[in-house]
Amino acid sequence: MNRIAKKIVPHVILTVFSLVILMPLIWIVRVSLTDKLTAYKIPPEIGTLGLMNYVDIFQRYPFVSWFANSFIVATASTLVALPLATAMAYSFARLNTGGALLRLGVLASQMLPPIILVLPLFGVFLLVGLTQSRVALIIAHLTIALPFLSWMLVSFFEGDMARLEEAARVDGASRWQAFLFVAVPVAAPGILAAGLLGFILSWNEFLFVLVLSGPDTQTLPVGLASLETHAGVEIAPLAAATVVSLLPVFALLPFLRKHLIQGLSLGALK
Amino acid sequence: MASITLDKITKTYPNDVTAVNGVSLDIRDGEFMIFLGPSGCGKSTTLRMIAGLEAISSGDLLIGGRRVNEVDPADRDIAIVFQNYALYPHMTVARNLAFGLRLRHVEASEIQSRITRVAALLGIEPLLSRKPSQLSGGQRQRVALGRALVREPQAFLLDEPLSNLDATLRASMRTELIKLHNSLGTTIVHVTHDQVEAMTMGERICIMRDGDIVQVGAPMEVYRNPADTFVASFLATPPMNLLPGRIESDGDGLAAVVETCRLPIPAAYREAYASHAGKPVIVGLRPEDFQAVAVGGGRTAPVALHTITTEVLGPEVILVANFASPGGPEVHIRMPRDFRAKTGETVTLHFDLPEIQVFDPGTTRVLARPFLP
Repeated sequence: MNRIAKKIVPHVILTVFSLVILMPLIWIVRVSLTDKLTAYKIPPEIGTLGLMNYVDIFQRYPFVSWFANSFIVATASTLVALPLATAMAYSFARLNTGGALLRLGVLASQMLPPIILVLPLFGVFLLVGLTQSRVALIIAHLTIALPFLSWMLVSFFEGDMARLEEAARVDGASRWQAFLFVAVPVAAPGILAAGLLGFILSWNEFLFVLVLSGPDTQTLPVGLASLETHAGVEIAPLAAATVVSLLPVFALLPFLRKHLIQGLSLGALK
Repeated sequence: MASITLDKITKTYPNDVTAVNGVSLDIRDGEFMIFLGPSGCGKSTTLRMIAGLEAISSGDLLIGGRRVNEVDPADRDIAIVFQNYALYPHMTVARNLAFGLRLRHVEASEIQSRITRVAALLGIEPLLSRKPSQLSGGQRQRVALGRALVREPQAFLLDEPLSNLDATLRASMRTELIKLHNSLGTTIVHVTHDQVEAMTMGERICIMRDGDIVQVGAPMEVYRNPADTFVASFLATPPMNLLPGRIESDGDGLAAVVETCRLPIPAAYREAYASHAGKPVIVGLRPEDFQAVAVGGGRTAPVALHTITTEVLGPEVILVANFASPGGPEVHIRMPRDFRAKTGETVTLHFDLPEIQVFDPGTTRVLARPFLP
């Protein structure tokens, strides 16, 4: 009895907690499959389920464009941020570039409310004629990704990594070769994890895109928000669009599970 | 192969901490040199300066007669084995071994033959396709050693390479390193805080403390003629017994007096100790230099010991006792395995007088007397 209880109780507790997190998602999936009237019924009613909202978002709204913009901006900003953040983290960790002051400065930039950064950025882009362009969004997202990713990666280049690099240097490697052939491959799980997080950060980013994008360069979060029109919230298509916009993150999930945990627990050196 | 010369080498960190203080040392070509000292004595820093991993603040470092202060570690042609092995975790054992050779653009066939040879030498052939994470501590140790060996460098630097191994493995690796040195004849600098490693492996020991070299010499030379009380108490377990005493006139000779015990000074040492007659000194008596039976001709002197306890180790027995009187200083004495004494029992043993050492209590330096071979 006692042993069975020991097995069941944790599962019950975990199920309840999981439901707290999953309920909104399940709700959205249900709403995405019903019509607008059924969607608002309390208690929830299943009614006739169908894919009409999914068809709707592709026909009535520029959903493909939002999705493509999101994908391009997230991929490009991650691909640019990753090598830069890796080099930055390495120089913070191993060369102590700029000392504690620069490290803290980089972190402090992330403590500012994003809204403070948006207006100056808008001003700069206006000056160089980049407003409403995807390039502007990519640069804007770099201002988020670079500090975040470099801070995340610093720990990967500290500690035992110094010994490995010293071993490589005595083995005949130049500093650059030691970085490229030893430090980067050893930190690869962390770099990959950082890349995945960078992608998700950009994918979900709302404020910068809201201010800096134009009609042709809107990404998903801003596109979805535009479904809340003055004629009321288009709740059912909104739910369908939300489900589709979650798909890439779900596709990354297996990688995330494997590499994020491995990467964040610094397993490579043990 | 090459000699390594340190000429007044100093390491000062930006926070004004001096880790190594004007150290000068000649390591001969092909020599097995041990850097011995407690942690923080500067031995590892010295090794890292030889490797080029730490900048030299002042002084000159010569490898094979060439000044290398500013030479990149990659171009010094030395190999280092780290305490935690520092194997590249993303490479197989074979690639770990090949890494240094590939960087030097050694031909693939030559790399292959060297790896085969070294793997056979160290018995790691079955491990070549494994990753470091799949190896035990002892195997990693061998691979780390192999990575140094395949390079065929001018000198090996070993930074406490045995300290992460268990006792049995450490003992066998000790022997293997000695064998390797005998067959290769390459200069080896081995850093350790383990005095057993120092005594058994080195041709010479360099004992360091607080960034200074205290004494350099062959293991037995250092053991029998310690330069000061630090060396005396650092080498061998149990270490030399250091007892407060005095030098007094004894007829026409001298005697070292500890508590109520008078130890006549051998005639050959009288001149050396004469200047300290009537002064307080520290008398050093090795635990090994006591015996149950007196030797004639005044070679030994009787000492009364009040047993505190005995530690029966198997091959030997350590007698822990108060020296000369029940309230006297505590001493450790190494006796043969059949020796027994009860707590509180007074035992009379005989000290081998030529082995006596006398230290100045102010400077802690030994009073120089004729050397024992």
